[in-house]
Amino acid sequence: MLARILNTLLMLAVAVSITGVINRTRAVLAGRKGLRFFQHLFDAKVLLGKGAVYSPTTGILFRLAPCVCLASSLAAFLFIPVADLDPLLSFDGDVVMVAYLLALSRVSLILAALDTGSSFEGMGASREALYGALIEPAIMLSMATLAMLSGYTSLADIFSTARSLDVNLTIVVLLAAYVFLKIMFVEAGRVPVDDPRTHLELTMIHEVMCLDYSGIDLAMIQIAGWLKTAVFAMIAADAVAAAVCFDWLLAAPLAVVVAGLSVGITESMRARNKLSRNSTYILTVTAMSALIFLVGYLLLQNIEIV
Amino acid sequence: MYPYLLLVAATAVAAIFATPVRRKVWTALAVVGAAAVAAVAVAVRALTVGEVVLARFSTQFFGDEIIVVDRLSAIFLLIMAVASVATLIYSKGYVEHYLKRMSTAHLSLHYVSLVLLAVSMMTVVVAGGGFSFLLSWELMTISSFILILFEAERTEVRRAALNYLVMMHIGFMFLVAAFATVYAAEGGTTFAALAGYFSTHDALPVTALFVLGFGMKAGMFPMHVWLPEAHPAAPSHVSAVMSGVMIKTGVYGIMRVVAQISSMPTLSTVGIAILVIGIATGLWGVIMAAFQNDIKRLLAYSSIENIGVIFIGMGIGYIGLASGSELIAMCGMSGALLHTVNHSLFKTLLFFGAGNVYSKMHSTALDSMGGLSKSMPVTAILMFVATAAICALPPLNGFISELLIYMGMLDGVGEGRGTLYFLTALVALSLIGGVVVLAFTKLYGIVFLGSPRTTHVAEATEVDSLRLAAMAIPAALILSIGLLPQYTVRPVIEAAAWITGGDYASTAAHLLPTLSTVSIIGFTLLAVIGALYWLKRRAQSRRTVSSSPTWGCGFTAVNERMQYTGESFAEGLENLAASLSHDTVDGRTIDKSEIFPTQHRYDVRHKDKIDRLFAAWWVELMHRINMGVMRLRSGKINHYVMYALLLLIAVLVLTLLNLI
Repeated sequence: MLARILNTLLMLAVAVSITGVINRTRAVLAGRKGLRFFQHLFDAKVLLGKGAVYSPTTGILFRLAPCVCLASSLAAFLFIPVADLDPLLSFDGDVVMVAYLLALSRVSLILAALDTGSSFEGMGASREALYGALIEPAIMLSMATLAMLSGYTSLADIFSTARSLDVNLTIVVLLAAYVFLKIMFVEAGRVPVDDPRTHLELTMIHEVMCLDYSGIDLAMIQIAGWLKTAVFAMIAADAVAAAVCFDWLLAAPLAVVVAGLSVGITESMRARNKLSRNSTYILTVTAMSALIFLVGYLLLQNIEIV
Repeated sequence: MYPYLLLVAATAVAAIFATPVRRKVWTALAVVGAAAVAAVAVAVRALTVGEVVLARFSTQFFGDEIIVVDRLSAIFLLIMAVASVATLIYSKGYVEHYLKRMSTAHLSLHYVSLVLLAVSMMTVVVAGGGFSFLLSWELMTISSFILILFEAERTEVRRAALNYLVMMHIGFMFLVAAFATVYAAEGGTTFAALAGYFSTHDALPVTALFVLGFGMKAGMFPMHVWLPEAHPAAPSHVSAVMSGVMIKTGVYGIMRVVAQISSMPTLSTVGIAILVIGIATGLWGVIMAAFQNDIKRLLAYSSIENIGVIFIGMGIGYIGLASGSELIAMCGMSGALLHTVNHSLFKTLLFFGAGNVYSKMHSTALDSMGGLSKSMPVTAILMFVATAAICALPPLNGFISELLIYMGMLDGVGEGRGTLYFLTALVALSLIGGVVVLAFTKLYGIVFLGSPRTTHVAEATEVDSLRLAAMAIPAALILSIGLLPQYTVRPVIEAAAWITGGDYASTAAHLLPTLSTVSIIGFTLLAVIGALYWLKRRAQSRRTVSSSPTWGCGFTAVNERMQYTGESFAEGLENLAASLSHDTVDGRTIDKSEIFPTQHRYDVRHKDKIDRLFAAWWVELMHRINMGVMRLRSGKINHYVMYALLLLIAVLVLTLLNLI
């Protein structure tokens, strides 16, 4: 039980730190002093203390959606182990549940965006639905790679046994971690797929869906975003940990550093993709995960023969 | 026994014809209700004891036959009973509108066909031999044909109905050929005889005939083209029962036939074939569904997609069975069976919802709706349940069945045999899952959310409460399967164990704890959502919550025509998969050089490319041959007498020459 609580606390720490590291990295690379490390938490606190403005076009679904988004992201979040620690929730086949809980949070925001009747939010919803559909196979493929290598179908079992993997498979697990990091970029709406800092609504994806939210609702969506980022960052870090035999003490900081640095550096170094290139980008991620699966499969077959 | 059955049937038909026009629905409901109660009773008995033999008799054509209910039939009987009763309750309000326009005889015929469809579907799944099976199958086709023809004055309805009738009979011929082959070899057509045939002969050709025949009904790719034509043409409650349960008889047939195969290599081949068909059907169906701009066409394509998912589950099950892995087989089969049950529930509900919209708007065009959740709040909530369920979102029933199928696949991937099949299926199923979300957020968002796109929509009102009550039946079942899977899924796992010959106890020991956990997570998720909402409301009650128009990004003259439409919502996917459909455009788009565009009409339809297969050169050739033959039909009696004479002479000459 203690391990479960420790795991959840570590995950929370990871979730709140990643945004701080991203902001700091960007500031350093741009030669600025930058925000306070936990500024985003203070911002969220301000939002939580505010009232709200609702459009008369919207109905109950719009008001419920942030709660669904946060609750489902939180549920997915509680399935993620930190290296070989036990997560709060776990059962055989929970990799599927994590993927579909994240889909639930996505659907709630898409429908809320359509509820406002705004053409801009419709645009964002349409893009989110398409990219969500295209990234889904990559998530399942990478999960399947891990399931194949470890022989288990729950994240907790996968990462607690993956440490005894054959040395030959290390590279495959590392590559899977790389793909999970890529998936994190897509799911969290980061450059090069989406730019959270863009100033033009026409070019947004995730941010444009939340244009009409204010106060508590907006805070909930932001918190859900942190949790979602932490889910994929932690899975990637777990895979690295499994490959090179770190334990949880190192896996949690690793998630923060790798996710924060990679996002921060990417956002400082390059511009966002043209929207028409995004589908290609996401399909490339999917193709990559298929390739990694096949490499893992071949290696596994070889080992059995010899 | 026959005379009594005929007497009961004749009484039922006479009763429906004799009742006054407004009360016909109650008579029909009484008959279907009685049949449903009997079916449920038999099904429950079969689920507890395993097998209930109802009758044994012998026929002229196919030898001795048997009417028997086993666990597989029982599952199908249950969904048929639920869907038929819900459909009849729903039809009361839906048909109301037509009472003045249509003749009494027409309405009587409609209700007789509804009853006949319900009863014949039930007899299909209990029939134990070729004659009773084919008879029920044909009655099912005929009755649904009459049901599609409800609004027979519309040309497109007649075309769709004829198209349906022809395609169903092509399928029927495959079935007759299959049963005849078995009869010729075994002297009987019971499923035991089929098992005997499969053990002594090469099973593949006959299985292929069966799969083709059943696949036609199920809407298997590329024989699915009748579905998107028939459903928009038929009244909504008919679409609901056809799409929800009737096409599932095809699934039943394939499950029943393949269950008789005992040779493992053959089963493996069949499993791979079904898996490949399922992947093609599912992907094709879901992408075409996302393209559609008509509510009922979208739902029809989504039925095709769900048949694909069911086939994927079955394929996984058979491959697992053939490779000797019981867990994979059980996960795949119970996933497929449960998805059959689930789809019957949410698709019935979705078509009812589409019927509510149609009866108020007199249109099913997606892009003329908008904001219906304000004028039809209960319909909107019920449709939301169905939408979330079909997107396989937790904690609803669609998730449970997909979870079982995924578990089969993931176990298969870990097992190391046939990994590549499981991998392909995994990629396909997750892509299908993603695009389903796109298709159904499009449907729900464009129809029920946002602001009304026409004044007509803004003035809509909620439908009568009887229709809403009929919709509540599947909605309640969706919730109960989704939230309490550890109880509701048990009979399905038992049925899957019965088909695959697997051990129920060991699989249940593996799956039921998982399902219990899923149930707890589902309840907790709902509780957390409720708690968050309550906390938010409480905090907001002490602060200023104001109302202001939707942010137009600085543009102040926003109107409801500027909202994203269904067509624009799916544009991204259309750019990626444009080659799958051929578009017919009516009207024109706005030219870039037009600075002040005048009013335009622009209507685009995304048609299935497979449709063209049925409009190709060979159709033209057959048409020409038929036109040639038509010239013989002069309408003069003396010509016909001459034809008869010529035939007789031909027979005589040929006999004399010893040719026949």
